Formats: sequence, C-alpha cells, structure tokens
Amino acid sequence: MTEDSQRNFRSVYYEKVGFRGVEEKRSLEILLKDDRLDIEKLCTFSQRFPLPSMYRALVWKVLLGILPPHHESHAQVMMYRKEQYCDVLHALEVVRFVSDATPQVEIYLRMYQLESGKLPRSPSFPLEPEDEVFLAIAKAVEEMVEDSVDCYWIIRCFVNQLNNKYREFLPQLPKAFEQYLNLEDSRLLSHLKTRSALSRLPYDLWFKRCFAGCLPESSLQRVWDKVVSGSCKILVFVAVEILLTFKIKVMALNSAEKITKFLENIPRDSSDAIVSKAIDLWHKHCGTPVHSA
Amino acid sequence: MDSNLPFLIIVASSRWKRLETHDVVIECAKISLDPAEASYEDGDSVSPQVSARFPHRVADVAASPYVDTQNSCGSATSTPYSSSWLMLLNMPGQPPQTLSPPSTRLLTEPPQATLWSPSMVCGMTTPPTSPGNVPPDLSHPYSKVFGTTGGKGTPLGTPATSPPPAPLCHSDDYVHIALRQATATPPKKEEKTDSAKPCLHRQPHLPNDRGLEELPGSKGSVTLSDLPGFLGDLASEEDSVEKAKEEAAISKELSEITTADTEPLVPRGGFDSPFYRDSLPGCPRKNHAATSGAQGASVNPEPLNSSLDKLGPDTPKQAFTPIDPPCGGADESPAGNRERQTSLETNILTPSPCKIPPQRGVGYGSGQPPPYDHLFEVALPKTAHHFVSKKTKELLKKAKGNAEEDYPPSTSPAEVLDRLIQQGADAHSKELNKLSLPSKSVDWTHFGGSPPSDEIRTLRNQLLLLHNQLLYERFKRQQHALRNRRLLRKVIRAAALEEHNAAMKDQLKLQEKDIQIWKVSVQKEQARCSQLQEQRDTMVTQLHSQIRQLQHDREEFYNQSQELQTKLEDCRNMIAELRLELKKANSKVCHTELLLSQVSQKLSNSESVQQQMEFLNRQLLVLGEVNELYLEQLQSKHSDTTKEVEMMKAACRKELEKNRSHVLQQNQRLDTSQKRILELESHLAKKDHLLLEQKKYLEDVKVQARGQLQAAESRYEAQKRITQVFELEILDLYGRLEKDGLLKKLEEEKAEAAEAAEERLACCKDGCSDSVTGHSEEASGHNGDTKPPRPGGSARASGTSRGGGGGRGGSSSELSTPEKPPIQRAGLFSSRWETTVGESATSIPTTVGSLPSSKSFLGMKARELFRNKSESQCDEDSVTISSLSETLKTELGKDPGVEAKTPPNLDGLHPSPPNLDSVGQLHIMDYNETHHEHSEG
Repeated sequence: MTEDSQRNFRSVYYEKVGFRGVEEKRSLEILLKDDRLDIEKLCTFSQRFPLPSMYRALVWKVLLGILPPHHESHAQVMMYRKEQYCDVLHALEVVRFVSDATPQVEIYLRMYQLESGKLPRSPSFPLEPEDEVFLAIAKAVEEMVEDSVDCYWIIRCFVNQLNNKYREFLPQLPKAFEQYLNLEDSRLLSHLKTRSALSRLPYDLWFKRCFAGCLPESSLQRVWDKVVSGSCKILVFVAVEILLTFKIKVMALNSAEKITKFLENIPRDSSDAIVSKAIDLWHKHCGTPVHSA
Repeated sequence: MDSNLPFLIIVASSRWKRLETHDVVIECAKISLDPAEASYEDGDSVSPQVSARFPHRVADVAASPYVDTQNSCGSATSTPYSSSWLMLLNMPGQPPQTLSPPSTRLLTEPPQATLWSPSMVCGMTTPPTSPGNVPPDLSHPYSKVFGTTGGKGTPLGTPATSPPPAPLCHSDDYVHIALRQATATPPKKEEKTDSAKPCLHRQPHLPNDRGLEELPGSKGSVTLSDLPGFLGDLASEEDSVEKAKEEAAISKELSEITTADTEPLVPRGGFDSPFYRDSLPGCPRKNHAATSGAQGASVNPEPLNSSLDKLGPDTPKQAFTPIDPPCGGADESPAGNRERQTSLETNILTPSPCKIPPQRGVGYGSGQPPPYDHLFEVALPKTAHHFVSKKTKELLKKAKGNAEEDYPPSTSPAEVLDRLIQQGADAHSKELNKLSLPSKSVDWTHFGGSPPSDEIRTLRNQLLLLHNQLLYERFKRQQHALRNRRLLRKVIRAAALEEHNAAMKDQLKLQEKDIQIWKVSVQKEQARCSQLQEQRDTMVTQLHSQIRQLQHDREEFYNQSQELQTKLEDCRNMIAELRLELKKANSKVCHTELLLSQVSQKLSNSESVQQQMEFLNRQLLVLGEVNELYLEQLQSKHSDTTKEVEMMKAACRKELEKNRSHVLQQNQRLDTSQKRILELESHLAKKDHLLLEQKKYLEDVKVQARGQLQAAESRYEAQKRITQVFELEILDLYGRLEKDGLLKKLEEEKAEAAEAAEERLACCKDGCSDSVTGHSEEASGHNGDTKPPRPGGSARASGTSRGGGGGRGGSSSELSTPEKPPIQRAGLFSSRWETTVGESATSIPTTVGSLPSSKSFLGMKARELFRNKSESQCDEDSVTISSLSETLKTELGKDPGVEAKTPPNLDGLHPSPPNLDSVGQLHIMDYNETHHEHSEG
C-alpha cells in the first residue's frame, strides 16, 4: 500500500521532470517476473504506458504469441522458432527463391509466403498489394528489432494479427476517422469533403500498413505497442492527429491529389509529438485503456 | 500752434502707445530738434522772451474782467493747449491790457504781419522763417507748427495786426460755445472744452474791445481756415479720457515749470524782450531795430541814411517786397482800436491782413479750385497731405454735426496763398502811397525831371530800415521757434510727468478709497465686537450667577448626600448584623433538621426491629411446634430405615463412580476423535489445496506444453510448407527434365527410369509424410486435400500428374496400414532415396539429403509429444517408436555427414538399391501399374 502510494507520488514527480517510463519500467519488470506471464496485464500495461525499448521485443513476442507465457519454455520455444526460421530460410535458399544478395525484407516476405503457402511460382512474379504491405511492415520492424529470427517472427505474427484479428475492424477505421475528425475539427473535415479528398486519403498507408513508412520507427513503435496489445483504434487517432498537426498546410492545399501526396510524405520531425498527442487523444476519446480482447 | 500741440501730445500719444520708447524718443527728436536749437541751453537768450511774454499774460489775467471765468474754468491754464493757447491768446488779449507801450507794438507788428503765412491757417507748411537755418524744417509736417508759433509769437503784442489770432479767437468762440451747448453733459469733453475755455472766454471779449462788429466777414474767413486744425484737435482729444487726463497732468506740470521759470526771469525777460525795449534797452540788435523802426515810424530820414549807405540800394527791395509791405489799409484794421488811433505806424501795419480776408472769403465762397493746387502735392510730403485731408474730413463731420457751424470748411492752402499774395500787393501799394506822401509837397514828377536826390535817399533809407526791420523780425521769429521747440520738449516731458502724476493720484485715490472702506469696515467690526463683548459680559454674569446658584445647590446636595451616606453606613451595619444573625439561625435550623432526621431514622429502625422481633418470635413458635412434631416422628421411625438407606447409598456411590469413569473415558475418546477429525480436515484442506495446486500446475504445464506444441506445430506447418515447396520445386525440375527427355527421345529407357524414379520419390514422400502424420488424421487429410490442387493446378506435365496420382494412392494405401514397421519404411525410404540419388545424382542438390532425416525426426518428436499427452494411447506404439527413434537417430547421425553414401544397415536390408524392379516389386507395384496405366492412358 505504502509502496504503491510512493510509486504514484514518484511517478507524478517523474512525469513532471520529463522521465516518463521510469516507474512503468519497474512495474513492467514486476509483471515480467511472474513465472506465468499474465498476458492481459501486459496488454493493459502496454496500452496504458509506452513500453521501455529494452523490453519491447520481449513483450511484443509474448503478446503476439511467439513466446509462451512460461519462462521455462521460452528457450525451447525460441529454439523451435529459430529452427523453423532456419528451415524455411534454408528451403527458400534451396529452391533458389532467395540468395545472399536478396534483401532481408524480401527474404522475410518469401518466408512468410512460403509459410502461408502463397509462395509464387517464380520470384520474378509481380508482388501483390498485401505483399507490399508486408514489405513496409517488415522494413519498419527490421529497424526496430535486431535479431533476424525475432524480426521475422514479429513481422509474421503482426501481419497475421492484422489479417486475422483486425480483419473486421480495419475497414471500419476510415469511418471512425471521419467521426473523430469531425469531433476534433469539423472545419478541416468539411475542407476535406469539399475538396473530395476524404475518400482519397492514404487509408492503406495508415490502416493497412499501420503507418509503416509514414512515421519514423522510433515513433511508430509506440503506436504499434498499442496495435500489438490489441487496439487498432489508435491508428485512427494517429491519423486524426496528423491532420490536426498539419491542418494549416492541409487547409492551404486545394486539390485532393496534393493533400494525399502531402499526407503520404509528411515531415518526420514532428512525428514524436504527433504520436504523443494521438495517444492522449485516444485516451481522451476511448477512456482508460482496457484490454479489448 | 493750437492745432499742433494737441496733435503732438494727444494724437501722437495714441501713436506712441503703439511705439517703443526709443521710437517715441526719436519721434520727439524729429519734432523738436534741429541743429540750430541743439546748441542752445535752457534759460539762454530765448528764455527772456518767454519770460517777457508771461508777465504780460499774468498781468492780462489780472487785469481782464474774465479772470473769474478763467478761474472758474480752473484748469484753463493747466491744459496742454491752454499753455499754447495762452501764448497765442494772450497776444490778442494784450490790446485791452494796454500795458505794452504802443511804440513797441508799432515796431514789432509790421514784421509779424509780413511773416504771416498760409501754412498756419491751413496747418500745412511753414512760412520761409529764415533764409539759412530753417528751410530744412519746412518740409517737416511739424516744423510748420514752430514756424507759425514763431510767426504768432511776435504778433502777440499787437492783436489787431496779427490776423491769425483774431480769426482763431472767433472760431474758438463759435465752436466752443456750440460744443459746450452740445456736449455739456460728458465730463471729459467738459475738461477739454475747459482747456479751450480761457481763449474762448477771452476772445469773445477781445473782438468786442477791438470792435468786432466792424469786421465780421474777415473773422469768419479766418476762423474757417483755422477750424479744421482746431476741430481735429478736439476730435482727437475726445477719443479717450486717459488722453485728457494725461494732457491735464502735463499741462499742469508745464504750467508749474513755466511759472517757476518765468517769474524769476520776469525782469530779465522784460529787458530782453523787444516789447520792453523802451524801458530796458538790453539787446543792441533789438534796440537798433527798435530805434530804426521808431525812426522809420516817426519818419526820421537822417539816422537811416547811414544804414542805407551800407546796404545795397536795390537788393533789399527785391528780396523783401512781398513781405515788407504792411503799410496800407491802416484804417481798415479791425484790431486797431485805441492803439491805432494813438500811432500811425500801427495803422499802417495792421490793416493789411484784415483787408484781404474779406476778399478771400468771397473767393472761397465761390468754391473755385485754386490753380496751383497740384503744387501742394509736390511740395508737401504725403503724410502732411493725408493729415490735411483727415482734418478736413473731421471738420466736415463736425460742421455737419453742429447746427451753428455755418461756415463752409472750404479753406484750402491755395486760397490762403492767394490771400498772402494779395496782402503783399496791398502792403506794397500802401508803402508806395506812404512814400509818396512826403514827396507830394515837392511833386517832382509833375515837373518831369528826375526826382531829387534827398528824395531817393529817404526812400533808400526807408527801404534799409524796412529791411533791417525784416531781418530783426526774422531773427526774432527764429528765436521764438527755438524757444517754442524747447518749450514743447518741456511740455512733453511735463506731460509725461503729469500722466505719471495722474496715475499716481488715481492710485492714491483708490488706495484712499480702500482705506476708507477698510476704516468703515473696521468701525463696523469694532462695533460688532463691542456688541459681542457686551453680550459676552452679560452672559458671563448670568453664568456666574448660575454657577454660584449651582454651587450652592451642590453644597446642599453634598451635605444631604453625606447625611444619607452616614445613614447608609448605619443601615449597612445593621444589615450585616442581621445577616450574621440570619446565618446563625440558619445553621441552627440545619442542625435541628439533622437531629430530627436522625431521630426519625432511629425511630424507623427501632420499629422495623420490633417487627422483626415479632416475626422471629412467631417463627420460633412455629418451629418449636414443628420441632416437636418431628421429634415425635423421629422417635417413632428411627429404627427401620437406616440400613437400607446405607446400602442404597453405597450402591449409588459405586454406580456413580462407574459412570463417572465411563464418562471420562467417553470424553477422552471424544477428544481424540475430534482431534482426529481436525487432523483429517486439515489433511483434506491440504490435499485440496495440493489438488488445486496440482491442477494449476497441470494447467500451467498444459499451457506451457501447448505453447511449445504450438511452436512445434507451427514449425511443423512450416515444414509442411517447405516440403510442399520442395515438391513443387522437384516437380518443376522433373517437368523440366521431362521436357528435356521429350527433346531427347533417343534415350527412352533412361526417361522411363527417370519417370520411375520420379514416381518413387513421390511415393516415398507421401509415405514419409504419412508415417509422420499418421496419428493426426487432420494433417493427413489436409495433406491429401492440399496436395491435389497443386499438381493439378500446375498441370504442366503428365509426369507430375502421375506423381500426384501416385501420391494419392500411396497415401490411401498407407492409411490402410498405419502400423507398418517403421524400420521397413525407413529402409524403404532410404533405399528409395538412394535410388533417387542414384538416378538423378546431379540434378538434386546435396542438401536435400538432410530433409528426410529431419522429417523423421520431426515425426519422432511429434510422437513423443503425443506420448506425453496421452501415454495410454501410445503404449502400444512405444516399442516401435523407440526403435524408430533409434534408427532415426543413427540415421540422423550419419546423414549430415555422408549424404551420398547409403547407410550400412540399409545396405544390408536392401541388397540392390538401384534395382528398380525389386523396388517396384516390393511395394509399389500397383503404383507402377497405375502409373503405367496412367502413362498409357
């Protein structure tokens, strides 16, 4: 009890000073010390607070199901995963789908295709749109995770989560985006509507790729913390916040093409602020984050 | 003069106010200073003249019947003009005085008459005062003033001869009477008029003395000429009260100065003045002139001759002809009066100016413009012209305003000049007539011969005399001018001082008024103060009496209060005593009450004791009775019952003891059993807990295992995919090979062998996969489902389709026999693999060799997992699995190392791996057949 109050007091202090993740890190460590990891708690935690980068990979792996909740089996499971990765990679090498010169991201793609049974007959076949999405996500994850096995597994599971868990939600996100934009800035929305740019906004980039390639990885991983922990609504708020941040610029642009083009290539320097604001906005509109699953 | 002085002070004062002080000084210098005058000092030769004149005036004032009027006017002399007026007016006033000897007058008058000029009439230009000194002054607008004054100054002695004074007097007469009547009410005007009064009052009488009735026309004409200036002055004076005051002050000052100056100088001036020349022959020039004049007048030719000799005979005549002739018309002179009768000279000189005016007056009446009017424009400066025009305008206004003013204000300088010329001509003719008188007796003209020499000489002498007279007059006039200027300066200074004085007086008056007011107020205050004092005194006395009364009252009250206080003290003492008594009484009462209560308690106690005693006594009685009864009973029953009772008692005791021990035992048992129950319960709880823990653990383990299993499954899935890919790849390769084979149809056998190998491989793969996934029906079914579409979908070569069919067949056959010995299968597999290796040695990559082994290992693992999951199910298979695992392990150990080599144990089992027939015979005969059928089909 006393410890808790102390912690609260300190966290307030830390937040005032500007260190956000000190107390969170400790609590996360406590969470991770449990032998059987409580996935729900971890989900809630990662929704409520930004994950410390040193634990991010572990938490993601746990949340994405790459690692089981038991610490005992982590090593073994990881071994399996690694072997699987090696096998698949080997197989691809054998069938000459990949070579040493193949970029890592493409290797991941091919591996994923192989595992999902969608490997095309020839590597020269044109890529499907979903493959492009995969590549974008893979590129982002590659920046975030060092180990290639982890990287592959995270990409794989993340994409799987998008394709399975959020399959029904993702198409609804543009609507939600419109709704929240209307709440936040109806003028901007009307501007977009009058320019008929609303339907042409880069929804694919935002919601299918989860801003991969749009935001820098350092900011992106904070967004993906929420996505991995089960909330894809954060994507909507990030999109809203992007529009609010670049409102003046967007208002100045007249044609839908220009708006879309601008939004596809937003300046990267303000992304951190955008993400912070977006998370605040998300908390504001969706209340205290509770594990949705 | 009369017009100039006021102008200087009053008109100019308005201008001065606008000017700076130095400008004013310069202006004054312009007016008063000229080079000749600058050298003179006050009280020089000029002052005697002034002094000489003033005695006359004083005497005149005293002698004249109008002194009263003058005095009544009061400030007549004090006014600035009055001084000037006096100068002028005294002269006309002189005749009645008869103080000045007629001889002097006769001498002085003629030059004055000649000096009279139109300028003084019209107020524009000065007459040619002196040939050398004065001319520069002529151009100055103010110089004319002095010129005229000079001119006028001299004729003062003879009022009859000098025409300007007389007309002036008349004009003043008329105008001032009219003005008085018109503006009697305003005091300012009154003052001004008063200032003008002395002359006004005096003048009306003067003409009377002289016989004004005789020449009204001449007076009228002269007045007209002089009016503008005078009226202008009046108008300017009326402008403001301040001006008048200032003037009054100045005039006062001036009068004081002049009187102070003149009185001591009277004797000197008297001697110096040309008028008193008879009594005091101080000045040689004057004497000479006077004597010459006298001689001339008395017609003594001898003394004149000497003087005539010196002078040129013709020059004096030529130079002074216009001025000289004041001789004719002596009878006509209006101012002649008694003097004229006494002396001839006066008669000769005086008439000339008086004669001309009537003629001029007629001329003016016609209103014809003078022919030389334009010359004035050139001769006079603009300012003078402007001034003249202004004056005339003002005069016109005045004339219109005044009903009595009948005279037309048409007198112009031209007319005056005309008059002058006429006058000159008259004088000349008169002189000529006079001259002719002595020669009449001789009448040399009548004889036609030249006139006698003495005649000529007399004429010359006369001429010289006249010339000298003229010179003298001129000089005198100059002196007058100088004196006048000085006086003027003094006047101005005096005026300034007067102004200051007036101001100071005003201030004084104001202060006096203030002082008076203050005094009045002080008196009032004092009165009020005294009143208040009285009131206060009465009040004080009243209050004192009141105080005394009150003090008396107070003393009375004090005495009373003291008395009352003593009474109060007594009462208090009484009360204290009473209180003490009361307290004592109270304590007594309390005591008695206490005693009473004690007594009552005792009483009640004693009552209750009595009752008890009674009760006890009764009981005692009853008990005694009962005791008696019991005693009786006892005595009767005592003997029988004792033994039985004892027996019974003993038995009861024994029984009781027994029961007691029993109960103890039971209790002990109960305790133990209860303990046991508790123990068991705790055990139970523990066990439950353990169970739960176990369950949890189990769950945990399950989850753990599931996680691992999922990983493994995913891996398996991946492997499956990999194999599929590999299959595809292989099929692809075979397809290519087939194509190659089609191209090389020459080697058909080889192609067949290849086909066979292909089939085998396919079978082998199927078998392998089946053997691994045999336990999970799903996987196999899935395999079966997934497999066909790929090869079918690809549909590249017949070989693949065949392989697919073989695969299917193989799977079905294998499914039917799931419990085949794995060794066999392994051997078969290896052999097949061998064959494939042998068959397509180069085409298949070396790494493929590891594939089956890994696959088999996976299967083993799966089996292990299964065994873990449900051991009971896998009991039967355990042996085979173990053997399988062993074999696989060996295989695994060898495979990575030596890929191309066949394992020795397999060699032993299968002697001829490359033998295709044996292989076909062994297992896949039907497949081959089907394959063949297919191929055939």
